[in-house]
Amino acid sequence: MPDNIRAIDCQNAVRQLWDYLDAELDDQRMTEVKQHLDTCRHCLEHAEFGQRFIQALKRVRDRHVMPSAVRSQVIAVLSAAGFSAE
Amino acid sequence: MNIPRNSIGTWNRRGLAVLLSAASPYHTGPGHRMRGTVYPIPGLMKQTADGRDDERAKDESFARDAIPWMDDVYRFALSLTRDPSDAQDIVQETYLRAYRSWHTFDPGSDCRRWLFTICRNAFLRSRQQNRLEVEVDDGDAEAIAAAREHRAMIEDGTDRLLASVDLGPALDSALAGLDEPFRSAVQLVDVEDQSYEAAAEILGVPIGTVRSRLFRARRQMQQRLRVHAMDAGLRSVSGEGENA
Repeated sequence: MPDNIRAIDCQNAVRQLWDYLDAELDDQRMTEVKQHLDTCRHCLEHAEFGQRFIQALKRVRDRHVMPSAVRSQVIAVLSAAGFSAE
Repeated sequence: MNIPRNSIGTWNRRGLAVLLSAASPYHTGPGHRMRGTVYPIPGLMKQTADGRDDERAKDESFARDAIPWMDDVYRFALSLTRDPSDAQDIVQETYLRAYRSWHTFDPGSDCRRWLFTICRNAFLRSRQQNRLEVEVDDGDAEAIAAAREHRAMIEDGTDRLLASVDLGPALDSALAGLDEPFRSAVQLVDVEDQSYEAAAEILGVPIGTVRSRLFRARRQMQQRLRVHAMDAGLRSVSGEGENA
């Protein structure tokens, strides 16, 4: 458990909210933001919306599939350069 | 290939079994050869086509480490070009360059990141885009503004409207509507799950720049969502609403 955990205010929490949701903060700051969210309904609403937002964006990946024609074309180009795909 | 259970063996780069010691019931003495085991014969590897083996090893590692990322590279290319046929060209160029410089790739390091960087450079070359950008790194301000706007969405009801729908399709079109350099920041971090640091390396910018582009992009998409929800809300209000 990191030392020096401070209580932070809403401005501070909101400023770091995306970083927190992306897990890009150091341990101390992650804990500080989490503690604030545990006690602040307003900021928690922002966090929950942000979480949904990010999760939905991650699924964009699943909706975009590369056409198989692209794959065969790339392999053809590589083969011409000496690549052997067996 | 059967390596006897009690023997200590390892696989060399070419996948040949190299027996370091054979404490096995099948080992009956010097010169004994076990069926099905391949031994490297000193000198012989030099005599066989070393070049051909190296080529095969190169192709095997390229096929194993680089080829599987083709879908991801295509998706990234498409987000940059916004045109499928341009994206295809970029993917081809990316893989060709990757193949030709495969000897420079550090095995075991992040191949997808390496490929994304090559892809980004190929895209920039295709657009002659090496413009010097002066960007203000103010991710904090974007984060605060986004929260403020979300608060407004809660107050005007659009947050509630969005709560029960799949945000995916709306975000998809919001993402496509973003301009560069914001779109690629979201594409890398949110869609392709890269860290800020990885995205910074791929894009060739400081982490602070990735952060501010990303946060601004998310805020813009959030604004689109709000408009989208308002349109949907107005439609449901003007039509027959189930809940009065």
